Amino acid sequence: MTGNAVASSLDCRGMLCPLPIYKTSVAIGRLAPGEVLEVVCTDPGSVADFAAFAARTGHRLLASEEGDGLYTFRLEKRAAG
Amino acid sequence: MSRFHSQAAALAYDPAAARVEPLGSDPALERFEDVRELLPSVERPTPLLRVRRVLPPAASPLYLKLEWLNPFGSIKDRTAAYLLQGLAERGELDGRELVEPSSGNTGIALAALAALMGLKLTITIPEAVPEEKKVLLRMLGAEVWPTPDDLCPVDHPKDGAIALARSLVESAGGERYVMPNQYANPDNVRAHYETTGPEIWKQTGGRVAAFVAGFGTCGTLTGVGRFLKQQNPAVQVIAVEPQAGHRLPGLKSFQEASEPSILDRSVIDRVVRVDDEPAYAMTERLLRQEGLIVGPSTGAIVHAAAEVGGELDGVIVGVSPDGGLNYTSSFAERLGSEGTPDV
Repeated sequence: MTGNAVASSLDCRGMLCPLPIYKTSVAIGRLAPGEVLEVVCTDPGSVADFAAFAARTGHRLLASEEGDGLYTFRLEKRAAG
Repeated sequence: MSRFHSQAAALAYDPAAARVEPLGSDPALERFEDVRELLPSVERPTPLLRVRRVLPPAASPLYLKLEWLNPFGSIKDRTAAYLLQGLAERGELDGRELVEPSSGNTGIALAALAALMGLKLTITIPEAVPEEKKVLLRMLGAEVWPTPDDLCPVDHPKDGAIALARSLVESAGGERYVMPNQYANPDNVRAHYETTGPEIWKQTGGRVAAFVAGFGTCGTLTGVGRFLKQQNPAVQVIAVEPQAGHRLPGLKSFQEASEPSILDRSVIDRVVRVDDEPAYAMTERLLRQEGLIVGPSTGAIVHAAAEVGGELDGVIVGVSPDGGLNYTSSFAERLGSEGTPDV
């Protein structure tokens, strides 16, 4: 984990793909580079989706955690350009 | 009571209650109290217009059904009205919001009707759709979710807007949202079976020999085709299909897109493939030689009608799905510097 605090969080519990990814891409678009978005999901498929999303977009996946049926992701917005 | 009156009533509007006083039976004095009264019907069809100048002199007569004269600007007004009417009659609208994937005309018609009915509408729309259409939808009060086609990073269908609309409905357990789903809803076919088809039959005095429309949702082809063939099995139903990778909005190539479940191949006699260039060339001729401000799909349909016209006896009817005003940016690309000052 980096020192950056979570700037914004998104509750995607109960949502099926691709809704969490869509909401994540909209929410991260509103952050400044370096700011961190936390997303909580319940869809097990989201683990692979968020890894692929980070790889494709260049945002850094700081954390991908699982527990109590919840999947929590922290993404750091990439530098502009 | 006329069919469009009953349709308007199902759309939460009662024309009889709204009408102030009749002005008499003179059509010139006809006036309207609500835009939904302008939805077409056998009693008040959209016009059939003959086009001559873009065809060879010996070609069979071709009439275009001018669907851009519908109140919200396209043939999709019929579809949207029937989709909402069906949902209302089945009680599926109660307490729900609408969500529909659309790249244009259906979204616009749904947005206008939803606004009149006080319903919230979300349109998931491919990112590549021109800004004009997205802004128009928002101006009509819809929420617009621009969606990249590759939205799903892992193992999901290619069309992001459709996948996103589905996930909105399913994530809420079917409680919050309902999707009219023009690609699978038989009410889309019924719209054309009950209005467009009977209008064409009546307007041609039953002399229609061929009907030409594009592959898209296939509501028009299936609905009109089925109706006309029931009146006269000899009517030829001709489907226009663009090439894979085409740039003809509203049309679909089933070499790359999956076939809608409402398509009934048994009513289609022939599929004519049209390339983008002749379709746009015909669109340009329709503007310049016929004075018809039509969209590119009309060009494709007229080009196909001209191709088969020499082999058919009798009246050909082609659909003109929408007008050209929404497509000026793609027309600009075609024109280059043409029509600018030569100094």
